[in-house]
Amino acid sequence: MAYSEAAWLVPLFPLAAFLVLLSFGRGMRGWAPYIGAVGTLCSLVLSILVLFEGIEYQDRIDWIKINGLTLSIGYEITHLTSLMLVIVSLVSFLVCVYSAGYMKTDERLTVFYSYISLFVCSMLGLVIADNILMLYICWELVGVCSFLLVGFWYQKPEAKAAAKKAFIVTRIGDAGLLLAVILLFWYMPNHALDFAGIQNVFLGQSGVVDDGIVTLIALLIFIGAVGKSGQFPLHVWLPDAMEGPTPISALIHAATMVAAGVFLIARTFVLFEASSVAMNTVAYVGAFTALFAATIALAQHDIKRILAYSTISQLGYMMLALGVGSMTGAMFHLMTHAFFKALLFLAAGSVIHATAKQDIRELGGLGKPMRMTAILFGVGALALSGVPPFSGFWSKDAILSAALDDNPFLFVVGIVGAFLTALYMSRLYFRVFAGKVSTDADHAHESPSVMVFPMALLAVLAVGAGFVDTPWNEWFSGWLTGDDSVTHGSSPTVLIISAAVSLLGIYIGWLAYVKRTIRPGTIAEAMPRVTRLLEQGCRIDDLYAAVFVRPYRALSQGVRLFDRYVVDGVVRLTAAAASGLGRTTASLQNGQVQTYGLAAVIGLVIVIVVFAGRRFWS
Amino acid sequence: MTIDWPILSFLVFSPLLGAVVLLALPSQRMRLLRWTAVIATLLPLVLAIMLYIDYDPSKSGTAYDEQSTWISIPLDKAAVGGEADFDLHFDYSLSLDGLSLPLVLLTTIVASMAAIASITIRKRWKLYYFWLLVLECGMLGVFLARDLLLFFIFFEITLIPMLFLVGIWGLFDRERAAIRFLLYNGLGSAIMLIVFVILVVTAGFTLEQTAAGVAHFGYSGSYDVIAANLADPQAYANQLSQAGENPFYLSGTMQTVLFVLLLIAFGIKLPIVPFHTWMLDVHKEAPAPVVMIHSGILLKMGAYGLIRFGFFLFPEQADKCSTLLAILGLINLLYGAVIAFRQKELRLVLAYSSLSHMGIVLLGLSALNVIGLQGAVFQLISHGLISALLFLLLGAFYERTGTTKLDELGGLARTMPFMSGALLAAGLASLGLPGLSGFVGELLSLLGVFDSHKAIASIAVLGIILTAIYVLRAVMGVSFGSMQPRFESVHDARFIEALPVVVLLALVVLLGIYPSFVTEQLHHSFDSMLEQLNLRVGG
Repeated sequence: MAYSEAAWLVPLFPLAAFLVLLSFGRGMRGWAPYIGAVGTLCSLVLSILVLFEGIEYQDRIDWIKINGLTLSIGYEITHLTSLMLVIVSLVSFLVCVYSAGYMKTDERLTVFYSYISLFVCSMLGLVIADNILMLYICWELVGVCSFLLVGFWYQKPEAKAAAKKAFIVTRIGDAGLLLAVILLFWYMPNHALDFAGIQNVFLGQSGVVDDGIVTLIALLIFIGAVGKSGQFPLHVWLPDAMEGPTPISALIHAATMVAAGVFLIARTFVLFEASSVAMNTVAYVGAFTALFAATIALAQHDIKRILAYSTISQLGYMMLALGVGSMTGAMFHLMTHAFFKALLFLAAGSVIHATAKQDIRELGGLGKPMRMTAILFGVGALALSGVPPFSGFWSKDAILSAALDDNPFLFVVGIVGAFLTALYMSRLYFRVFAGKVSTDADHAHESPSVMVFPMALLAVLAVGAGFVDTPWNEWFSGWLTGDDSVTHGSSPTVLIISAAVSLLGIYIGWLAYVKRTIRPGTIAEAMPRVTRLLEQGCRIDDLYAAVFVRPYRALSQGVRLFDRYVVDGVVRLTAAAASGLGRTTASLQNGQVQTYGLAAVIGLVIVIVVFAGRRFWS
Repeated sequence: MTIDWPILSFLVFSPLLGAVVLLALPSQRMRLLRWTAVIATLLPLVLAIMLYIDYDPSKSGTAYDEQSTWISIPLDKAAVGGEADFDLHFDYSLSLDGLSLPLVLLTTIVASMAAIASITIRKRWKLYYFWLLVLECGMLGVFLARDLLLFFIFFEITLIPMLFLVGIWGLFDRERAAIRFLLYNGLGSAIMLIVFVILVVTAGFTLEQTAAGVAHFGYSGSYDVIAANLADPQAYANQLSQAGENPFYLSGTMQTVLFVLLLIAFGIKLPIVPFHTWMLDVHKEAPAPVVMIHSGILLKMGAYGLIRFGFFLFPEQADKCSTLLAILGLINLLYGAVIAFRQKELRLVLAYSSLSHMGIVLLGLSALNVIGLQGAVFQLISHGLISALLFLLLGAFYERTGTTKLDELGGLARTMPFMSGALLAAGLASLGLPGLSGFVGELLSLLGVFDSHKAIASIAVLGIILTAIYVLRAVMGVSFGSMQPRFESVHDARFIEALPVVVLLALVVLLGIYPSFVTEQLHHSFDSMLEQLNLRVGG
């Protein structure tokens, strides 16, 4: 039997784990990590089998049928989806294992694993979906899991606020995506929503769908991706989402869910290719985000927030790749980023677990007591910084080469971003692991092996995953698209420049934070205002508070008062008038026969006049 | 079709059976009364489930028709030439179609759950359960009656029990709320009555040749007769007579007037902004189980009436007014969502939330295509379940904490994890999370309305953001954050409380995952209406 035919089972294993955990509740606390891990392990094994089988398969069932119009749900195995299946289930499995150590003492461990299982199920469903409606459904579900996990420590006011913010900000993007789904439904021939159908329409002949509509749909999809993948200007939720447990940050807010926006665009890439406006928008938003977030990352002090801004920045690179037409570059970077960023978060979690601190100003010298963590973090940092031959180097190279071919300006932005990346990572690394031993480092200890093992495996991938696609071996590009003419597209210039800027970044970081030949505070003190601004994430939050939140509050209050005093006021007035009239007429009922007689006579006269007058006016 | 006994009558009057039994029981035996009432609501539930299983959408509902002459008043024969019979008759006529069926099932489910949830009621149980069962009888009658007078009477029957349920068992300001409820709904009923009378004397006029060759003239209150006459271009109601005046003629203008009057009459019930203020008081003052029924079913009667009498009888006028309907829907949706955001009282958040969700129903209806109409009905069912669930939970929280003010609640997830989890799930369903029923109704309604009113539909999509904002604020306000120390000792749900929560939640999930449960039954419900619409408007 072909494994691909059974691929629909992939999301169902974690679902089963979720249901088991949900129904047994806290009764099976000790078993929770096993149940969660086994669920994802089953998915992982099947995903790997599907990946190596390498055949394409698709099947679907009707979901809603209304007089001939059908909305279906189904799954589709292509190289792209099977690759994503493996990435997602692998990282999920490793995070499940890691959490067994990290979350060991939490009393709501069962709840934690049930949320993770639900998340994995939804994320795998998102990946495997054969049509955009089902993708949207899973898209919302991963969003809600993210919300639940960010708010996992629900008693903390910061966690509560962050969870709410994550949900609402991504919901803005979701509204765009929903509108795109609705537009597709009405404008596609035969109301086709499946990706294969979309592909056929756009690869076949142009002009089936009006160009303006195509651009509109593509931009709406992109709004959805901007929300989910933390692109400017909807990135504000992602740094706050770091309030969640660190394994969650690794899984959801680095490796998988936030990459869903990139995956979505890759999945509907033909739509984007049909509209140059959309492509340019994606490229420029991506490039700006890459640079913008990297700059902010330089000034952050919280280890997880630095990594969060770094994620935003790297997702910007993926968007940039998509925008300049390199879908393979984006997916390649998505894969390597999933490995090294998950590794970085898990290693950061290891530090937090050991020291209970996450402000880098309070950390230092952890290289000695936490040797393994330091090495593993270092591998991740080198991969992220794009140092050859680590995986991040090759994938970033693919992106930068594509950018150079398409738009030299974006290439320059990418290079500057790469330099900043290396700089903020070396700052982070040297601050935490090198230098003076902080007071807490004494009793810092290495994490248990259940936490180290997943990191080690990710480190291997962070080093090795890049070799699937190098200027000398372009296997990945061809495999992913099924088109051998798609190449890595690299020139020696790009390789050299890219390697040079990342090494330069690290060197400056080394000078500043280890050798101390440059005093780290020099720039910050020269421009205190800029530094403050960057520390506060360019105060985008304040901007939104002033432009959206407060006006909406005021509007709401205004409408509330309107409802209470005007709408209900009219009602009360009517009631008062009616009862007033009643009281007036009631006073006529005074028991005096003369009054009644008068009224009767007046009434009679009116009746006579009406009857007599009828012939004149009818 | 295996049922050959008058199941619809049994269904409608089965709650009364329980009510009669209750009257015979001693009024101090709380447990006995409670269990009798719960069992009495299970009877119609079982019958409704039987109907659901038995119902074949392809044959529509004619198989269950129950009809017999109810009132027949002979009129002056001279007026029609002296030879023929001439009378005014109203039938006792019940029927079932794909539109009634899900609403009937919803009614029986919510009524049962409300009866179980009524353990929070602290006084005069006998009378309470009696009115509850009478109310259920009225609601079932509304969804099944196919005679204008019969419909009107059932519609009125629901008002009286509600008046007492709110007025006696409500909170502090209960009497004012009850009276406002009665006055406002009475106004709606009066308008409805005017329309019905006009319909009976125009479209209800029929001429039959009986077997003996004697002509039989009559005014009929039968829904089917009126619907057939309105649809038939040869009928008196649609003929501007050549010879003299045709007193039965309903001009286009007149039909539009009737449609608008129906829109107001049922719009008060639905409710449509600005006729909504009465329902705020009911939400605020009535006991939680009563609000479950009020928000879960009674509001749906407004939408049902609008579809059954407004849309099915006057499809052309509905089409003419569709932009107006869409705008009203949009206003409801956004107005409710915006106000709900600033409410400090959880009950009012939910009240405005109902208002907002009914906006989606209006939007779906205004689409006038099969997707939108089905979406609207799906939204009715879904909102019925979700709001019943929300008020069920609210009642449980109120019983323990003695407050429903958002700034006094908070952090209850710690002492009440089950209830808080259910509240979160219900909230997510309310904001339209896929996998739960709210999403399907929203999706279908928006999908449908986009085809007819693109701009309005696009603005309506904003509603999903605003809904998320107020729902999360309310739900997280109850269960997240830090908790007041005085709630340290509150306990989580008892079994009897958890049962209805689980049932309602399961249905919400079931409909979210497998919407065909409702959509299949609705399959042909709108066919004849849309056919007519195509016939008359040509598109």
